Amino acid sequence: MYVALCENSCNEHSRASQFCLGRQEAGCEDLDQLPNLGREQEMLEAMGLQSMDDLFSDIPEEVRRTDPLPLRGPQSEEEIWADAQRLLGANIDLDSRPSFLAAGLARNFVPTMVPMLATRGEFLTSYTPYQPEVSQGMLQAMWEFQTMVSELVGLPVSNVSMYDASTAAAEAITCAVRVKGRKATQKGVVYVSQFVPPHRLSVIENYSQGGGIELRTLEHGEDGRINLEAATAAAGACAVYVEQPNAFGELDEGVMKLKEIIGENTALIVGVDAVSLGIVEAPGNYGADIVVGEGQPFGIGPTAGGPIYGLFACQKDYLRLMPGRIVGKTIDEDGKDAFTLTLSTREQHIRRHRATSNICSNETLIALMGAMHMSLLGPEGLERLALRVAAATEATKQAVCAIPGVELVDPDTPNFREFAVKLPGDAGEAIAHMDEAGVLGGLDLGDWWDSMSTCLLIGCDERTSQSDIDALTSALSSWIEEVSP
Amino acid sequence: MSDIFEFNGAAGSGWSQPEPMMEDAADTVPPSLRRLNLPEWPRASEPELVRHYTWLSQRNFGIDTGFYPLGSCTMKHNPRINERIVQLPGIDRIHPLQPEHQIQGLLSIFYEMQEMLEICAGMDQVTLQPVAGAQGEFTAIRCIQEYHRSNGENHRDKVIVPDSAHGTNPASAAMCGYDIIEIPSAEDGRIDLDALRAAVGEDTAAMMITNPSTLGIFEPEIAEAAEIVHAAGGQMYYDGANFNAILGKTDPGRMGFDAVHYNLHKTFSQPHGGGGPGSGPIGVKSHLAEFLPSPLVGRQEVEDGGATGDGYRYFWKTPENTIGKVQQWHGNAGAVVRAWAFYRRYGRELELMSEHAVLNANYLRHQIMNPDTETLAGIEVMPVDGAPTDVVKHEFTLSMQPLKERTGVTGKDVAKRLLDYGYMSPTLYFPMIVPECLMIEPTETESREVLDKFADDFLAILAEDPELVTTAPHSTDVRRVDEVWAARNLILRHPGTE
Repeated sequence: MYVALCENSCNEHSRASQFCLGRQEAGCEDLDQLPNLGREQEMLEAMGLQSMDDLFSDIPEEVRRTDPLPLRGPQSEEEIWADAQRLLGANIDLDSRPSFLAAGLARNFVPTMVPMLATRGEFLTSYTPYQPEVSQGMLQAMWEFQTMVSELVGLPVSNVSMYDASTAAAEAITCAVRVKGRKATQKGVVYVSQFVPPHRLSVIENYSQGGGIELRTLEHGEDGRINLEAATAAAGACAVYVEQPNAFGELDEGVMKLKEIIGENTALIVGVDAVSLGIVEAPGNYGADIVVGEGQPFGIGPTAGGPIYGLFACQKDYLRLMPGRIVGKTIDEDGKDAFTLTLSTREQHIRRHRATSNICSNETLIALMGAMHMSLLGPEGLERLALRVAAATEATKQAVCAIPGVELVDPDTPNFREFAVKLPGDAGEAIAHMDEAGVLGGLDLGDWWDSMSTCLLIGCDERTSQSDIDALTSALSSWIEEVSP
Repeated sequence: MSDIFEFNGAAGSGWSQPEPMMEDAADTVPPSLRRLNLPEWPRASEPELVRHYTWLSQRNFGIDTGFYPLGSCTMKHNPRINERIVQLPGIDRIHPLQPEHQIQGLLSIFYEMQEMLEICAGMDQVTLQPVAGAQGEFTAIRCIQEYHRSNGENHRDKVIVPDSAHGTNPASAAMCGYDIIEIPSAEDGRIDLDALRAAVGEDTAAMMITNPSTLGIFEPEIAEAAEIVHAAGGQMYYDGANFNAILGKTDPGRMGFDAVHYNLHKTFSQPHGGGGPGSGPIGVKSHLAEFLPSPLVGRQEVEDGGATGDGYRYFWKTPENTIGKVQQWHGNAGAVVRAWAFYRRYGRELELMSEHAVLNANYLRHQIMNPDTETLAGIEVMPVDGAPTDVVKHEFTLSMQPLKERTGVTGKDVAKRLLDYGYMSPTLYFPMIVPECLMIEPTETESREVLDKFADDFLAILAEDPELVTTAPHSTDVRRVDEVWAARNLILRHPGTE
C-alpha cells in the first residue's frame, strides 16, 4: 500500500523519486517490497550524490523516458488477491465438471505434501546450485530425481529436466544428430512418426533449424500401427522419433521392434506417457537410446500448460553431447560424500556457441515436485496409478463405443489414457454441444489434422469416475441423436 | 548422509490411492507390451518423506535464507502472494486447450501482461510463450531468421555478439544455424563501435546485446550501434536479463532494438526454484510480429460486459506467418500469473523498483570500494572495478586479480569464504573479460543494513589470513566440493541394489 497511500498527498504525475520523499512527509510507514524506501537521500548522500537522477545520468537524453509509464496504479496485496480470485475464478476449472481433455496432460491429483514442501523458501528461492557447498539439498534431490527417472525409463542417464515433452523431444533429436551424425549414411536425416501431435512437431521443426537436419515422416499403416516395412528406410538415418503411446493414446508393439530394424547407427528416441511405464515396458528395455516425455503427471497440475517439465534420459554414449544440467555424486575436501553439477563444459555458460544446447533455466522446482510425487508413490504406487488410468481408459472406451454411430479410429489397438473416435458429424460441434451439457468432451482432432475434423480425442485419467463416464456418454448420445438423420 | 533409496520399509505405496475402476485393468495391455520389473523407486511413508525433504531443504540456500548477490540473476524477494494465487483452481486446474469461453480470466491476465510488457520495453507485440530467457532469445532469433527469409535475404548468416554477452546469446543463435561473430569490448568494457563497424556487412542477420551490459554499465552509444547494424540490414536483439535496471527510465524500443526478451523470473519475481521454471516472453517491433509463435491473445469489445466484466471478450489468435510453437502450449502460464501479481503491486511505479535496484548496487559498490581508513589499513590489496565508471546500474563487477597476484587468494576463494559468513556467493568468473571477476547484484529488496554488513564482511575477508580464505568454506554442510572427482567418476544415479 506504500504508493497507494502516498497518492493522496502527491501529484499524480510526480516522479517516483519525489514520490518517496512525499511518502515520508505523508507519514506512510508501509515499506512492502522496498526496505530502503524513504532512505534514498541518506544513501545517496553517503555516496556523495544529490538525487536519484544522478544514478541515471549515464543514460543519454535521446533514449531517456521522460513521461511516466502509462500503466495502472499500484495495488495492495489484498487488492491483488481479490482481483486474482475474481479473474481466475471466472475460469472453469477441470475439476468442476466431467473432463475428458488430456492431449498429453494429466488431470492428476497431486499429493498435498508436494506443493507444501517444494515451496519451502530454501528450495523455492534458490538459484541453480552453482555453489554446491550451500546447495546440497537441491543437488541431492535432483540426483535422486535422476535416479528415479533412469529407473522409470530403463536408461542409465537422466538430466534434471527440460522445459516440456516437446522441447525434450526436439533436443533429443538434435542430440542424436550430433552423436550419430558421423556414422549415419543418411546425413542429417531424422524420421519422425506421423502420429506425433502437431504442436510437438512444430517445436521439433523450430529446433531443427540449426544442424542441417532433414525431417522425414515415419509412416503408420491403416491400422494406426507403425509401418515396419517402411521403417527399414530409416536404417542409416541419424534418428527415429516415435511415441508410445502415440497421439491417439495407442500402444504399438511395433515400437519394440524398431531398434532391430534401424540398427546400431541410428538412434531410437521414444516419447512416453510417464505414468504408463507402471504397466507398459520401459523403452530402455527394448533398445531405445533416448527416452523423453512429459513429467507433469508427477508433481504438478496441468497449470494451463506450464510450468511443467520434460523428462530426458539416455544411454551413456549420449552423455557428453546431451542437453541440460546433470548432478553427480562426489566428495568434498574431507572425503565426505557430496553432490555437484557436473559435465558443465557441455553448457552454454562455458562452451557458448559450441554448447550442446542453449538451455540455462530449466524446470528444476517442478522436477523436485515430481521427485516428491514419485517417491511417495513408490514402485507399487506407480503400478496402481497406471492401472487406474488404464482401467478408466478401457471403461470409457467401452462405454463410448457402445453409442450407436461412434467408431474407434483404430479398432484393434490397445490404448492408454486416450483414444480417438470417429463421429457422425463435426467434432467441434459435438464438443460445443457437450459443453452446454456441462461436459468437457475432449479434443477436436480437426484442430490437429484437417482430415480428422469428425474425430474426437477422449482423454481419461486416474480420477475419471463412472458418473463422469455416464455424463460423457449421455451428452455425446444426445448430440448424436440431434445430428443423426 | 542418507539418501532416499535407504527408505525401503513400507509395504506397498507411501501414498494411498483408490482401487482401479476395473479389476482386470492390466489385461488392457497385451502381454508382449507389459512391464515385468517395476522401477526401483523408494518405498517410504509420508512422514518419512516429509522429514527427508525438510532435511534437504535445510541443506539449501535461498533468498529466504540470506543475502543472494548473484550478479545477472536478479535474486530479489519472491512475494508469497504469488504462490498463493497459482494454487487457485482457475490456474492450477486449467487445461491449455480448454475452449476460450472457459478461460476468459486467464486470457485477460495474458492480455494485460502482453500489453504491460509492450509498454515497458517500447515494443509493438509481445508473446508470452517462451519459457526461459534462453528460449526467448532462440524464439526471437527464429523470428528474425524468418523475417530475412521473407525478404529473400537468406544470405544473412552471421549474428554478432559482444565478448561480454551471456553464453546463451551465442548458443541460441547457433541453434538457429547462425555463425557467431564475437566482437571485443573497448578498454572501458563498453561496446567498441569500430569493432562493430568492422564486423557488420551484407551477411549480418542480427546483433545480440544486453544493456546495461554484463558489467552493469549503460552503453551510451547504443543508439549509434543500432544505426550501424540497421544500416547493414541487420536486426537488433535486446537481451533483457538486465531489464531490472532501466524500467521506466528508458526502454529497448527507444534504444533502437527490434526484439527483446524479458526474464519474468528476474525482473518480475517469478522464483528461480533452484534453476527454474523461468519465463522468457519476447517483444518485437511491428515488422517482426507476423512471425511470432502462435497463439497470441487478442480481445474485442462486447456489449454484455464479457466474462470478466471489463467489457471485452478475449481470444487466441495466430500471427500470419507464425514460426509455430517453441513450447507445446502457451508458455509457463503459472509464471506469467505470478509476474502479473508482482506487476500489480507496482503498477506505473515500476520505475521505483529500478531506482532502488540501482541505488542499492551503487551504494554497495561505494561501501566496498571506499572503506574507512582503519579498515583500509588492514587490507593488503583492494579489488579493482571491472569497469571504472561514476555510476553503475543494477550490478557491478570487481576484479580480484591484484589479490590473486599478491596473495594467491582467487576470486573463487573469496566467493567460498563469503559462504562462511552466511551469504550466497556473487557470480564468479563472469563476464570473462574481467579477470578473477566477482559480479554483484544486490537487487532492490535488500535493506541498507544488509548492504552495510555485507560490505564490512567482504572487506574483512580481504584482511584475513590468506590460508583461511583459500581453504574456505569452513562452516558449510560440506567443505569445498571436488568437481574434478565428479567429472572423472560420473556417478549420476544411485547404483541400486543389483
